[in-house]
Amino acid sequence: MSSTPTAPPPPSPPKDTFTVVFDGKPVEVPKTLNLIDAAKLAGIDIPHFCYHPRLSVVGQCRMCLVEIEGMPKIQAACTTPLKDGLSVKTTTDKVKNSRAATMEFLLINHPLDCPICDQAGECTLQDNSFGYGNQLSRFDESKRQYPTFDRAMIGPHVVADMTRCIQCTRCIRFAKEVSGTSELTFLDRGGRTLVWTHDGQPLANDWSACAADVCPVGALTTQEFRFRSRVWYLNKTKSVCPGCNVGCNVSIESKDDVVYRFLPRLNPEVNDYWLCDHGRFLSESLNARDVHKATLREGSEVKDVIVPLAVEKISREIKATAGKTGPSGLFFLGSAHLSNEENFLLRKIADHLGCANRDAVVDTSRPRKIKSRTEWVEGDGAAPNFRGARDMGLTPGKGGYGLEAVLSGKASPEVIVVSDAAFAALADDPQKVAALRRARFIAVAARTSNALTRAADAVLPAAALSENEGTFTNVQGRVQRFERAFLPKPPVRAHWELLLLLATALGWGDRNWTPSDILGEIAKEVEGYGHIRAGELEGGSLLKKGDFAWAGHP
Amino acid sequence: MEKVLTRRVGQPNSRSIETYVADGGYAGLRKVLASMTPDQVTEEVKKANVRGRGGAGFSAGVKWGFLPKDTKGKPIYLLCNADESEPGTFKDRLLMENDPHQLLEGMAIASYAIRCRTAYIYIRGEFYDGARILEKAVAEAYAKGFLGEKILGSDFSLDITVHRGAGAYICGEETGLIESIEGKRGQPRIKPPFPAVSGAFACPTIVNNVETLCCVKQVIDRGADWFMKLGRNEKNAGPKLYCISGQVQRPGVYEAAMGLPLKDLIFGADYAQGMKGGRKVKAVIPGGASAPMLTAAEIEDCPLDFDGVAAKGSMLGSAAIIVIDEDTCIVNVAQNLSKFFSHESCGQCTPCREGTPWLYKVLTRIEQGEGRMEDIDLLARICNQMANGMTICVFADAAIAPPLSSVTKFRQEYEYHVTHKRCMVGARAQLVTA
Repeated sequence: MSSTPTAPPPPSPPKDTFTVVFDGKPVEVPKTLNLIDAAKLAGIDIPHFCYHPRLSVVGQCRMCLVEIEGMPKIQAACTTPLKDGLSVKTTTDKVKNSRAATMEFLLINHPLDCPICDQAGECTLQDNSFGYGNQLSRFDESKRQYPTFDRAMIGPHVVADMTRCIQCTRCIRFAKEVSGTSELTFLDRGGRTLVWTHDGQPLANDWSACAADVCPVGALTTQEFRFRSRVWYLNKTKSVCPGCNVGCNVSIESKDDVVYRFLPRLNPEVNDYWLCDHGRFLSESLNARDVHKATLREGSEVKDVIVPLAVEKISREIKATAGKTGPSGLFFLGSAHLSNEENFLLRKIADHLGCANRDAVVDTSRPRKIKSRTEWVEGDGAAPNFRGARDMGLTPGKGGYGLEAVLSGKASPEVIVVSDAAFAALADDPQKVAALRRARFIAVAARTSNALTRAADAVLPAAALSENEGTFTNVQGRVQRFERAFLPKPPVRAHWELLLLLATALGWGDRNWTPSDILGEIAKEVEGYGHIRAGELEGGSLLKKGDFAWAGHP
Repeated sequence: MEKVLTRRVGQPNSRSIETYVADGGYAGLRKVLASMTPDQVTEEVKKANVRGRGGAGFSAGVKWGFLPKDTKGKPIYLLCNADESEPGTFKDRLLMENDPHQLLEGMAIASYAIRCRTAYIYIRGEFYDGARILEKAVAEAYAKGFLGEKILGSDFSLDITVHRGAGAYICGEETGLIESIEGKRGQPRIKPPFPAVSGAFACPTIVNNVETLCCVKQVIDRGADWFMKLGRNEKNAGPKLYCISGQVQRPGVYEAAMGLPLKDLIFGADYAQGMKGGRKVKAVIPGGASAPMLTAAEIEDCPLDFDGVAAKGSMLGSAAIIVIDEDTCIVNVAQNLSKFFSHESCGQCTPCREGTPWLYKVLTRIEQGEGRMEDIDLLARICNQMANGMTICVFADAAIAPPLSSVTKFRQEYEYHVTHKRCMVGARAQLVTA
């Protein structure tokens, strides 16, 4: 033996992956993954119902059965702990037969009335039946019925139909582990097991419709969307919820230029798999519109005009006032409902005119919160982008005044430009509007009429969120892009298009800019917007109701 | 064999602590506290190979050995499984109602061995008398210093609580029992983790059957060597209670050395004394409703111990021997037992929740004369896709035992039912007509 002391080998960094062999193919997977998600990473689908990446593992549906080398019996993948060298077989006859067996058991008491079930098309039971079940059932008995537990509202939004339930308990676990409200439970046992609320108390937490989201079948659906549209006709558009400044990632589901519903988009940093009821059910309000055309007031008469004519009139009024009183006679009001791009354009118009009188306000709402992967994200504004409006500089500049001064009469602008007529509740308050009306000329862009539009001199027809694109900055400072679901019907135009028309009429900006170009301008000028983190704009990935396969976010 | 576990059953006032102490009771506890370390107790029980009397037949000492050496500050719980819900089983009830202190002493010794400070007796909800008797016995034991703080002047303290179930078969499954004792719905848990690592209240937990814990007391009193000599071999040893029911002359609980031949239990003068009306045996369920049936031929040389019955393709289970005579319709038996299992499935796993009522519906149809030939194979196929890893616990494996074994072994009766639309044997053979 040599007596020369040898240095101990440097400790190798602990590996954070395991090598798992799927059907003979070794794959490196993160140690923290569930086997179902690890398989997904390896490109292998393990069918499942009760497993959900954010809920506790219960191993009850028995659909994810696989063979594990060294184990004589078939195993549920979701309950099998990952370990190095684990060898999983997912294609053997034993696996196929076991999955077919579970499918048969799940279907014997299921109504199989997919043609009249609202879940059809986004039903995990349907998909797995096609993928892994037998075509024919050997069940020739009467099916289980739940006479008093079908088609019943169990809360303000959720309709329960227990004949369709497959007892996967995802909804029970959601209410227990995510919302923390525990309204739902199993009643009875064996073949008579059903999911219902405790003592008939309603499923009325702030996120109750998520219980319908996690439901893999048609047992829980929402009253609001039920039977409105077949889901395969709906287009999915990546958007951001307009309900508050948390900025939950949603997909707008629309058809023929009509919004039918919001579904959450998976973004672990913001809303994870969830969406609050308040935001979710704002979806159909995007379809509301009673401002269809541009109008100009001439004396006591209000006339329909084409949009360029109205913009020209506004521009003329602005120029006349600027010439007469200087920029102090102008006031520009942005909106926490509008995108960063739109608020930026308004700010630049004011700058171009040398005007420091600009502002943006927001209604406070009761606190809204959503559970991200790691923590609760709380919002307090009733609009999605107050932080962005402020970041774009919509606060009174040096020597300028804000909305408060205008309302109190301390400041008396001659021309007021309101980029969004629905900027806050006060726009529908006759007294506040009367205070604004002291100005000689009021121009607004609007989708729905209110006291302010009725008092305004020029009204421009503006697009809804679903007809628009841009970015919002949420309470965390995250800049998130929303995309356009469909084009507004002419002559309605997006706020940024209207603002760009006005800007160019006043001699600033480029008529050909798109929201992306404007974001490029923002990046050059606004602090903190120069280096938006990769993936932040993009936001979360699209989900299918009831289908929660791993989507790249362990 | 001299009666051991049931020695005091039937004696006057056998429930009271006075008669128990007068008969030498709590000497075993005194002995271990005075002269044995916990590990020595475990070793003795391990050496005796006391196999679990609740049904699984797993060595109690080995089970205790699964407890972590370092519990990281967590307490260790002992749960006595007194749920006794297996149809045909009524031995634990006899022990608890007639000699409750034997159980309490066994629990105290076991608790000392596994370093448990708080133990529970989870007693079946329907055993109202048993719960009352145990509660009284626990109070007596506290009063005499056999329970509570610093028992018999030692450093060992133990509290025992009697907890009544709410009437669910599945709460006899050890993890279902643990969920229930935590106040939750009685649903078996996914294993691992096993209870010895994380059981009741997420702490290391040992669940032992009533009879097992009584055996522990006997091992301490009489020694592992004595225990091992009782029985066919060292792996199947000790005193054993057999519950025999069905159409026998003298149904009841009988104590014998492990390995009593099944035929002796049915026909022996000391035991059930043969069949009622001199009829023949058709089938025997040897280990409670979850054990596959044996035919008359298979019981010829069947020793009633864990390995002996297993060799016949069934299991000793809780040693509940249900004897079925030649005049009983086997389809009716399977239908009856399937009704029980479909009623008692906890409902969490798909194959069991859906499969057990399906089996019952098909069996009911056959029994009512509306069966078809293909139903017979269908029964077997349903059974085969319910068990062997398809579910979290072994309930489904138990639930398929009656239909699967009867279809396999008594197929002609099923076929008769389908063809003739009535029972082949028994009173209803004439009553039901096509």
